[in-house]
Amino acid sequence: MKREKQPADGCLLDVENVTMKFTKYEVGVDSLKELVVRAFKGDLKREKFVCLKNISFKIYRGEAVAVIGRNGVGKSTLLKIVSGILKPTAGRARSYGRISPLLQLGAGFDGNATGMENIYLNAAIMGYTKKEIDAKLQDILDFAELGDFIYSPVKTYSSGMLARLGFSIAINMEAEIMLIDEILAVGDMAFQKKCYDKLTELKKKGLTFLIVSHSDSVRDLCERAIWIERGRMIADGDSEEIFRRYTDAMMNPEKQ
Amino acid sequence: MEREKKTKRLAQQGYLLTLLVRRNIKNQYYRSFIGVLWTILNPLLNMAVMAFVFSSLFGSDPSITLDYPLYILSGNIIFNIMRASTSGSLPCLVQQQDMLQKTKVSIGLFPTANVLSSMVTFGFSFIALLIVALFRLAVGKYVFTWHIVMTIVLLPAVMLFSLGLSYFLSALYVFFRDLEHIYSVILTLWTYLTPLFYTIDRLGNETVKRFMNLNPMYHYVNYFRDILSGIMPTAWQHLVCYAFGIGAFLIGYLFMTIVRNKIAAKL
Repeated sequence: MKREKQPADGCLLDVENVTMKFTKYEVGVDSLKELVVRAFKGDLKREKFVCLKNISFKIYRGEAVAVIGRNGVGKSTLLKIVSGILKPTAGRARSYGRISPLLQLGAGFDGNATGMENIYLNAAIMGYTKKEIDAKLQDILDFAELGDFIYSPVKTYSSGMLARLGFSIAINMEAEIMLIDEILAVGDMAFQKKCYDKLTELKKKGLTFLIVSHSDSVRDLCERAIWIERGRMIADGDSEEIFRRYTDAMMNPEKQ
Repeated sequence: MEREKKTKRLAQQGYLLTLLVRRNIKNQYYRSFIGVLWTILNPLLNMAVMAFVFSSLFGSDPSITLDYPLYILSGNIIFNIMRASTSGSLPCLVQQQDMLQKTKVSIGLFPTANVLSSMVTFGFSFIALLIVALFRLAVGKYVFTWHIVMTIVLLPAVMLFSLGLSYFLSALYVFFRDLEHIYSVILTLWTYLTPLFYTIDRLGNETVKRFMNLNPMYHYVNYFRDILSGIMPTAWQHLVCYAFGIGAFLIGYLFMTIVRNKIAAKL
């Protein structure tokens, strides 16, 4: 995935016929011991497994799109492909802007390092230079409202403080696209409201959102939804309608 | 324009690398009770204990050209570069998985940071070695020669070797999580199979000697001891040290490149 010059029509993410296949062992082999034992027994059947099939969509500047589907239908794999971490087996995914990932509560922090060190470390892993982080530091600190705790090791933080810090880093760095994977369900009510307010404000400013979820908690934020089921795209369109159909299908599984 | 972008990207990666190295070193030492002093004390205490225990067994070995405490210390701090790099690198990708699942970043930077921070630790240990050497000089057991500067020729080879091994192990650990236990056993065996406190002459076994030539750490330790005792290593020694270093680096780097997409899928 290369960051290229943005096309004139405002397309930020262009996913074209993406297919992802994995070869995996029929029984999950994740230890050397198991691999050796099974190899001796001749019990290593490999299986081709199609995780995503012919997914295509385009996301334009300022859109907020929810990707919905049950657990294990390939949503997270799709996110990995979109953000360029994973190369798809076929097809291609292009992004024309900077991507900022919003991680789960407290994920990606080094517990022994102070909040301040973690800000720099996380932002640097996301690909920002020292200059860029310095410029945004005040905004991050203001939003996180951690006071002097910013100089204490992160392992002493409460979960609310962790959430504030993580959220603050993700939204204050200058990105065009925000990837959110199931995050807004955590934190207390006041903080959730603050997050939603901030996200709505950013949306008005023209930030693009891609939110992965298996519930309709993000319905208010997104106007468009993509529904994925067993690796295939079932629907792409107005979020109200798709969420209704999705909830319906989840409630009455036999109708499918 | 394209070139400018590339230099900017490189500068950014360099910045990330320094942050990672700084974090590692801080986690390792600065936050402990006596802080940075520990980096120097640690190899010294180690040496004191080993010299006390083993000096009557091996200390009077005629094939040791170096004062025995220095013999132990020199072997340990070179071996420690590899040990610290690899045992730190083994879980480093998995530890960062929350971040690596969501962000595109060169995964090679994480093991590299571990190797670099173990080089910094070596720097401190080297100071400890110089302190001991000065003490031994005072009692007439050691003589300084210019050969000691050859350390800077040896270090890149050890570093390349550690890098290759670290790349390989950190990538493999993503797939096999029991590697942690297996590797700690291997590391212990490797420590004893390298003449850190004994000499291979003492073993008096030709097969063992021949087998020892396959142990890269043996060559690095040997090289370091030679220059400390004022012996110029031969061209052959240089060749062997660098062949192991470059070979390991290439294998590790290639392995990581080949399985990169699988790592992304598995994390």
